[in-house]
Amino acid sequence: MTLSLVLQAIFAGVTNGIVYALVGMGLSAIFKGSRVINAMQGEFSVVGAMTTVLLLTKAGWPYPAAIAAGALAGALLGAGLELAFVRHMARKNASEDSFLLLTIGLALTLSAGTLFFVGRDGYLLPPFGEGVLIVLDAVIQFHALWLIAIGIGATLALRAFFHRTSVGLSMMAASIDADGAATTGINVARMRTYTFFLGGLLGALGGILVTPLVAVDYQLGLNLTLKGFAAAVLGGLTNPLGAAVGGLTLGLVESLAIIGISSSYKDVVAFTVLIVIMILMPNGILGRAGRRGG
Amino acid sequence: MSLSSFARLTGAAALVGLSAFAAPTAPASAQTSGDPIKVGAIVSVTGAGAGLGGPERAGLLLAEKEINAKGGINGRPLKIIVEDDASNPDTALSKANDLVFNQKVVALLGPSLTASTVAVGGVTHANKIPQIAFTGIGPAVERERKCLAHVLPPQKLNAQALLEYAKNIKATKIGVLHDAGYGNVVLAELKPMVDKYGVKLVAIEKFEIGATDTTTQAAKVKASQPDAIFIIATSATPFRNIKQIQATQPIVAAIGSSSYDYVNAMGPAADNIVIPEFLVGEDPLPHQKAFVELFKQTYNSTPKNYEAAAYDAANIIAAAIKKVGPDAGGEKLCAAMKTPYSGVLANYDFSADDMTGIPVGSYIYSKLVGGKYTRTPFRVTQ
Repeated sequence: MTLSLVLQAIFAGVTNGIVYALVGMGLSAIFKGSRVINAMQGEFSVVGAMTTVLLLTKAGWPYPAAIAAGALAGALLGAGLELAFVRHMARKNASEDSFLLLTIGLALTLSAGTLFFVGRDGYLLPPFGEGVLIVLDAVIQFHALWLIAIGIGATLALRAFFHRTSVGLSMMAASIDADGAATTGINVARMRTYTFFLGGLLGALGGILVTPLVAVDYQLGLNLTLKGFAAAVLGGLTNPLGAAVGGLTLGLVESLAIIGISSSYKDVVAFTVLIVIMILMPNGILGRAGRRGG
Repeated sequence: MSLSSFARLTGAAALVGLSAFAAPTAPASAQTSGDPIKVGAIVSVTGAGAGLGGPERAGLLLAEKEINAKGGINGRPLKIIVEDDASNPDTALSKANDLVFNQKVVALLGPSLTASTVAVGGVTHANKIPQIAFTGIGPAVERERKCLAHVLPPQKLNAQALLEYAKNIKATKIGVLHDAGYGNVVLAELKPMVDKYGVKLVAIEKFEIGATDTTTQAAKVKASQPDAIFIIATSATPFRNIKQIQATQPIVAAIGSSSYDYVNAMGPAADNIVIPEFLVGEDPLPHQKAFVELFKQTYNSTPKNYEAAAYDAANIIAAAIKKVGPDAGGEKLCAAMKTPYSGVLANYDFSADDMTGIPVGSYIYSKLVGGKYTRTPFRVTQ
């Protein structure tokens, strides 16, 4: 095992970890705000990325405008999910299992819809920066550096949003104690819609950022949901910022397992490490911080 | 998405969505009369095998139209009843039962996937219905099925075709990047043959099916300093990753990655990759030209291996029925089918041990140059 190989594994692990983190943060934000485990989180990424691809290549929009529209499409899909389904089901005291079934069903529907309307092909977006950075023979795309920088920026912005803005604080209050928040005049239902909007936005952002590296197709959503879910649980499901830590941990453990042991045992090693972490820290790596409000 | 890939996309969507209903334009027609001769076909138009079943259905329907336009089978029209097994062996089995017992088909074409082929074989074997599968030979049980033929090569032959190219470029140290499904199967056939070819596998790196990133595995393959890299997968991801880490070795890919779907998803990485396969629609062999032209006219897209394989299967069964008549019974039809046949895809001999008889010399070696298929002059001489 050479230093260059270790560095290559770290580059790959951090890049993948940031993507898992963005999907996981969205999943965790939604869970925190509504107790819904959103099995269609990865579909937000697919819808966001696919919208950007189509607007850029078919409608000829400028790249930044297409990205903004793609992110907005994911966010609106999130808000739409809350307004069209979750709100009505919550009013009838639907259980967590019902919400899970709802989102699994919608994930399959959206995936089939993408297949029907867009086809089987995978699509790439142009990278934000051409070229590569070579450190000790290990290679990282400039786009991956952008992805890492934007991912970290989004994580910090999310933290500031929850701690510094009145909407963020209200969303947190509504999620921790809905009745208490309502007595102080917070519109709990609206805060829940915002939560889904935010979850959709983060998912779409992850999808758009990863599409220059990984082609988006109708099957990508489930894969992202599973990794994002693992990241969110690892970090503490009720703490969106924990998902960032969880995502990075997952990405790094996966790629270091390949060079440390063998690619044949990658998943065995990665999931063994994750199980050990969950045994030692059952509330997730940042679980207790989550109780304090994340 | 370029205009051409958009055209392909809409073409593919049209094939998947409409080809069951839309009549492809056929050559000037001769008259057919009488009851149609029914042949069943089971393909995976939906589910995990959709990348195979969609093209196969297009090939089948094209053959049916062409055969009927040329006067059918001894004057009677051919009717291919195409069913979708949704990539599920249980569904394939129930469709096979329906085709054999209710629709009374004289032969069965397909399915697209090995598991379904094995399941359907139970019905066709027991009832002496000839079957031509769109797979290479699978588990040992298939050898007991006396009326089964395959129009695609066994994985052993795909592995051999890779090694033949390595020999051609004098590569002795090979790094392998493969997926956990298709890649595992081909690799298992490859390993016992490497000594014979004087080749050493210096790195074997695996990734799961549907992996979105294989950079670390690719880096390990690169670090082993191979003369050439084999990529055995049904995904574009390893190709992008191996180029992203700037590996400069020649890349040879197994036929599983040869579809337009994967090549489009490779983006700029679809360059300088050699694939042992059977049909380059952009530059077909002389005996493939008529098929490619007819396909392009009909579907406005370029065919690849699976379209040609299904087209061959329909023509093979039609030729056998023509020889012995539609009412000759399964055993006679089987015997008529088990003769050498020069198809669009390859030269078959269904009496061979592997039930396909494709020689390694039937492979052509395509090369991706700037995202486009070109045909290299290399062929294996036997």
